[in-house]
Amino acid sequence: MIRLVVIGLLTAALRAGASDFFTEKIEPLLKNRCYECHSHAAGKMKGGLTLDSKSGWEQGGDSGPTLVPGRPEESLLMKVVRWTDDDHQMPPKQPLPADEVALLEQWVATGAPDPRLAVAVEKPGSAEGDWWSLRPLVKPAVPTAAGNPLDGFIQAALTGRGLRPSPPADRRTLIRRVYFDLHGLAPTPEEVEAFVQSEDPQAYEMLVDRLLASPRYGERWARHWLDTIHFADTHGYEHDVFRPNAWRFRDYVIASFNRDTPWDRFIREQVAADVIFPDEPHLAVALGFLGAGNLDISAANTAPMQFEYLDRDDLVTQTMSSFVSTTAHCARCHDHKFDPVSQEDYFALQAVFAGITKGNINYYDDPSTTREQRRLSSVKAAIDAGDTTVLQSPEHEALVASWVQEQETAAPWVTVVPESFVSVQGASLERLSDDSVLSSGQLPDQDTYSITGRTDLQEITGFRIDLMVDDSLPRGGPGRAPNGNVHLSEFEVQVFRPGATMGEKLVLRRAVSDFDQAGGYDVTKTIDGDLKSSWAVNPKEGEPHYAVFELAAPLRLEDGGRLVFLLRQLQGGSHLLGRFRLAATTAPGTSLRALPSGVEMVLAKPAGERSADDRLALATYFLRQRTEAALAALPPPVTVWAAARSATTEDRGLITLAEPRLIRLLKRGDLAKPGAEVSPGALSAVTALPSRFDLPQAKDEAARRAALAHWLADPANPLTWRSIVNRVWHYHFGRGISDTPSDFGRMGGAPSHPEMIDWLAAWFRDDARGSLKALHQLIVTSEAYRQSSAPNPEAAEIDPENRLLWRMNRPRMDADTFRDSVLAASGRLDSAMGGPAVAHFTSRPGPQSTPVLDYDAFDRDSPGASRRSIYRVVWRAIADPFMEALDFPDLGQLSPVRGFSASALQALTLFNNGFVLHYSQHFAARLEKAGSTPEERIRAAFAICYQRPPAPEELAGAVALVDRHGLAAFCRVLFNSNEFLFVD
Amino acid sequence: MHHRSIHSRRHFLGQAGGGMAGLALSHLLARDGFGSMPTPRAELNGGLHHPARVKRIIQLFMNGGVSQMDTFDYKPELARLHGQKIGPKEKPEGQTGASGAVMKSPFEFKQHGQSGRWVSSVFPHQAKWVDEMAFLMAMTTKTSVHGPGSYMMNTGFLLPGFPCMGSWISYGLGSLTDNLPAFVVLPDVRGLPYNQKGNFSSAFLPSRHQGTIINAGSAQPVPDLFADPKHAFTGQEADAASLDLLQAMNRRHAGAHPDDTRLEARMASYELAAKMQLSAPEAFDLTSESAVTRAAYGLDDPVTGDFGRRCLLARRLVERGSRVVQVWSGPQGAVNNWDNHSSILTELPPIAASVDLPIAGLLGDLKSRGLLDDTLVIFTTEFGRTPFEQGSLGRDHNGNSFVTWMVGAGIKAGAAHGRSDDLGFKAAEGITYCYDLHATILHLMGVDHTKLTFRTSGVDRRLTDVHGHVVSEVLA
Repeated sequence: MIRLVVIGLLTAALRAGASDFFTEKIEPLLKNRCYECHSHAAGKMKGGLTLDSKSGWEQGGDSGPTLVPGRPEESLLMKVVRWTDDDHQMPPKQPLPADEVALLEQWVATGAPDPRLAVAVEKPGSAEGDWWSLRPLVKPAVPTAAGNPLDGFIQAALTGRGLRPSPPADRRTLIRRVYFDLHGLAPTPEEVEAFVQSEDPQAYEMLVDRLLASPRYGERWARHWLDTIHFADTHGYEHDVFRPNAWRFRDYVIASFNRDTPWDRFIREQVAADVIFPDEPHLAVALGFLGAGNLDISAANTAPMQFEYLDRDDLVTQTMSSFVSTTAHCARCHDHKFDPVSQEDYFALQAVFAGITKGNINYYDDPSTTREQRRLSSVKAAIDAGDTTVLQSPEHEALVASWVQEQETAAPWVTVVPESFVSVQGASLERLSDDSVLSSGQLPDQDTYSITGRTDLQEITGFRIDLMVDDSLPRGGPGRAPNGNVHLSEFEVQVFRPGATMGEKLVLRRAVSDFDQAGGYDVTKTIDGDLKSSWAVNPKEGEPHYAVFELAAPLRLEDGGRLVFLLRQLQGGSHLLGRFRLAATTAPGTSLRALPSGVEMVLAKPAGERSADDRLALATYFLRQRTEAALAALPPPVTVWAAARSATTEDRGLITLAEPRLIRLLKRGDLAKPGAEVSPGALSAVTALPSRFDLPQAKDEAARRAALAHWLADPANPLTWRSIVNRVWHYHFGRGISDTPSDFGRMGGAPSHPEMIDWLAAWFRDDARGSLKALHQLIVTSEAYRQSSAPNPEAAEIDPENRLLWRMNRPRMDADTFRDSVLAASGRLDSAMGGPAVAHFTSRPGPQSTPVLDYDAFDRDSPGASRRSIYRVVWRAIADPFMEALDFPDLGQLSPVRGFSASALQALTLFNNGFVLHYSQHFAARLEKAGSTPEERIRAAFAICYQRPPAPEELAGAVALVDRHGLAAFCRVLFNSNEFLFVD
Repeated sequence: MHHRSIHSRRHFLGQAGGGMAGLALSHLLARDGFGSMPTPRAELNGGLHHPARVKRIIQLFMNGGVSQMDTFDYKPELARLHGQKIGPKEKPEGQTGASGAVMKSPFEFKQHGQSGRWVSSVFPHQAKWVDEMAFLMAMTTKTSVHGPGSYMMNTGFLLPGFPCMGSWISYGLGSLTDNLPAFVVLPDVRGLPYNQKGNFSSAFLPSRHQGTIINAGSAQPVPDLFADPKHAFTGQEADAASLDLLQAMNRRHAGAHPDDTRLEARMASYELAAKMQLSAPEAFDLTSESAVTRAAYGLDDPVTGDFGRRCLLARRLVERGSRVVQVWSGPQGAVNNWDNHSSILTELPPIAASVDLPIAGLLGDLKSRGLLDDTLVIFTTEFGRTPFEQGSLGRDHNGNSFVTWMVGAGIKAGAAHGRSDDLGFKAAEGITYCYDLHATILHLMGVDHTKLTFRTSGVDRRLTDVHGHVVSEVLA
């Protein structure tokens, strides 16, 4: 029966045309029955499937392909709508009527024609281009003439709603406000009084300038940026390990704010300083930005594919949220549901970061060291490449000539003539005509030779042993081991004065050789006193070698004195000396070198007989030694936790990516479903800029980051400039012009003053040239900022959320400000800047690499304990409970805004935590000195905490508590009070 | 920033002591700071979207990855194939080593109860409760690494920085009492689990929703409940006088700022803190418990003492109005937890014994007190283990299949949903993810998991992300 129906409909369909059939029959059916759970319009893609576009069903869902065109019986769609499979029944609540099932079957049977274009959501280039944040940035006219252009916009918006601004805040309120805003600290009572008393009409502007010039400003505003990019001092995840070098980036951010680095430059430095500013390598510290986030060490080791994928995701999320307020990461599994970010855009961004890995990187903090390091490295490279223009430059020629002369005129080596020579283990030792000694016969596993000899030299500075080749030795020697190698464990010399029966052991302070075996078998092992370590020459057997030893003090050898050499050969395996010769010299000890045999041979020739190659060999040898020594003598580089092509972690060692990893688009974001390769790029929706980077060297990871940095910092990128001015506005007013500082998409907050954000962004880019200090100055000198925060019930009726700024908002201190303010009030704030982070806990080893932290056992008077909060260790997943109580964010994720909460646990923390109580005592001690009566001390406390004198009844209440329970009890109350915590 | 009239609020605060549908004042009060927050509805028995069956939750989290085929997932095929190398040739992502040969369970399995559930000999006490339990036999996850795996089961995301289930419930439903935190975490006294405190984070939810970590071994289990007596200006009398002055000063300040409900909220928070000071010590004091109860939880046995004490605390806390109590078994690390890489035979029995009797004790205690009528107990872990040995007699991480059970209100007693393959290697039928477990738990609490959202950075976040189905097969 069904078949008949199908055939009937099929005929009809053919008549109507496939497209019409879809549009008239199938699309309404899908809309009616399926879109609720499978469409962009509904914001749902259950089972990973969307049906509101052809590409949706073509891609399929989690259960596989939706249908096979032309083959209903093989199509999942038909199976599920027929309800034959217990696990898959669609629609889930009740089956479709038979006629609708038949329509679907017919549609599939006829090849599933679907004329719909791409996805139903708007795409870049269509209406999408008209979204406010993506519009090209054009500076609008200021609506009304006001002193400060910002007030022109704000007052126009207020007037439009029948509102007026509030009157100006009084000076006490204003100075407290602007201090907390720009410094995160209260003004001192003296500063308050001076400002209140000042008759200078420019007093406020001068105050603002002074605040912006203070280093306290950078400390305050760096914290905002570190929140935004989820910077912390540990890895997070399973092994939440400390990053001892992360702090350098924190110091860099503070310094950048203080020196007012232009915003576009700040972007370029953090994303690609190494590429864009190669002549300022100390800026490598800025790459700490790339290392700011979490690192799952455990997954890196056991699940590398997923680890790398999610680690790159973290970088994409951080970069795009922080700089351009775009939630690109929402397009990981599918095209962004709300914003014009395609999945391909997302993976193009992953490709930008596909060549770097998080870890420690080294750089020179001092530019002059860097310059020297670079110069020496380039000289060394030229030497290694045999570049004669460098090797025989006039400067180098002179140096080489002087060295050659020094070698030629140095006192010669004089052979020590062996008088007796004994093998402890019974090998046969024989003196040859050149006064060398040859070993043969017995071949013990280990041995020690004792050689007694004499020399006519009187003031000996050093000794030499030559390991010589001989045809009687395996592979020519110089050793007796089957491969010709030798291990000399210790080289010891004793002097026997004339008539003495006991020898004196001589101190050798330096040993050098012409060649050392790799793996720790260098010649210094012969004078380290360790019988288990030794010098050896593999793989250069079959060649002569020698070592030179410098005496700690010159030896005066009287006539008749004897030298005894103890040559310990304890490695085993018969790694014994085969043929050798001993010598001594009177040349200055420091001049003693062990030259490679080739160089020695050249030097042995008279100068006139040396060929051009000989001279080049001398220059090469000497200049290489000299350059390597100079490189080794440079101050050590410093280390920052960052991300780079080559980086080190304690756990994983040095990781270097030869080239970027191949990035493929992953269907549903699933590693098991790789699609086409994606090349590096950024957002297609920013139409003013190319969205895929045209890089001459496709595999150059640094070029990828540089391209993204330039894309982000481009004057034509409308997101960047709106993003930063809004972010700054957010911190000044407690709420951004758009109240989602890291999302300017359709799910983000629409701007309360759309023209003002554009004006401000364009002004910041063009007029202020990216100067944050200029931006702060403009904002905090506006009337809007300076107005009172007092209530106004009528205005509240019209604009209850104060989006139009008819008054100033009233923030509660954040955790850092609270802690710093308590320290400052108690007179204990340590204003030392920079350096390694201060731990506010004690720690002991945990079961694995994460330690156990104790925030209570911490000594609050230990050095550095009372420094500003920006300098504390932020342990990502073992947070300080005290800071958490005041909403310090979980930096597992980006934190563009701080929260507000009030709870019993917060009250208990502020009332009872050791920090508050400890500093209540310090505050009380400070107040003791500030007055001689309780009243005077309480007045001082009010001035310090509230920037105002107490009212009579306030004074009375405080005195009563102080009398009964002491000054510290009152300090505790002040630190808990709303007036302390809120800033009008 | 918030400008609603406070007059009605004050009026309301004066009357709210009786509690709406058992909802704590603290929750009502806190919602003011934020505008729209979920509101439990009395006519829905305290649910948000439909009537609630469950009001309290005790979650037992076995840290390290419980071996399903050595506990609840009986696989006779393992005995037949024992010693054969039929596992994956390449080391799967997340496993610490390559897969070795199939390894049968060294423990005896028996059927228990009317339902005939198979349980191994490591859980003799839980075995008596199988007819009350509903099992998810084919749970699966997206990773075989502890960190992301623990995040997944607690927050629904592989990445850090998302709120855990307890925080979501605290945010959605609040506490049942003003005297105790809504969401309490009782870590193993030997240490924190993988991810440290990240597993209990409220992340972008207001920080008051994060898990209050109780150190069950400490003299002051609630942090900062009282001042350290070394500070002479504190103590009962000084605290009371200081609080009085503080509130007087705050009232004066609020009078001059009559439009800011945050000021009121902070003032109320100190009143609530004082109430908590009065009642919390009693909640943590186990001395009033009978000898029978102590024995049922195994308090006096060194094997079961720690976990038993924390189970008993969990009962006392939910009984007194905490919403969610999470009890952890096992710290991070190579020993003392469920991450049995070296030897299933020697490593599993001790950790299993440390929880088995206390769990049975807890279930019995909850039942006899009638608490199971509105309490849900959940037993889970971050992933399962391989049916293969790994060059030792232990089993490796396996995110493909593991077991969770639930007992209590709204649960279909004796049910089992889903099935793993014949080796217990991969979930085969009736597959459930953390999303489905979380959706089901929220459902039981009267919450539609798709509607409990929080807007952050432009996204309406959910505990279940864009996933989740209520597992009706295990619901009564």
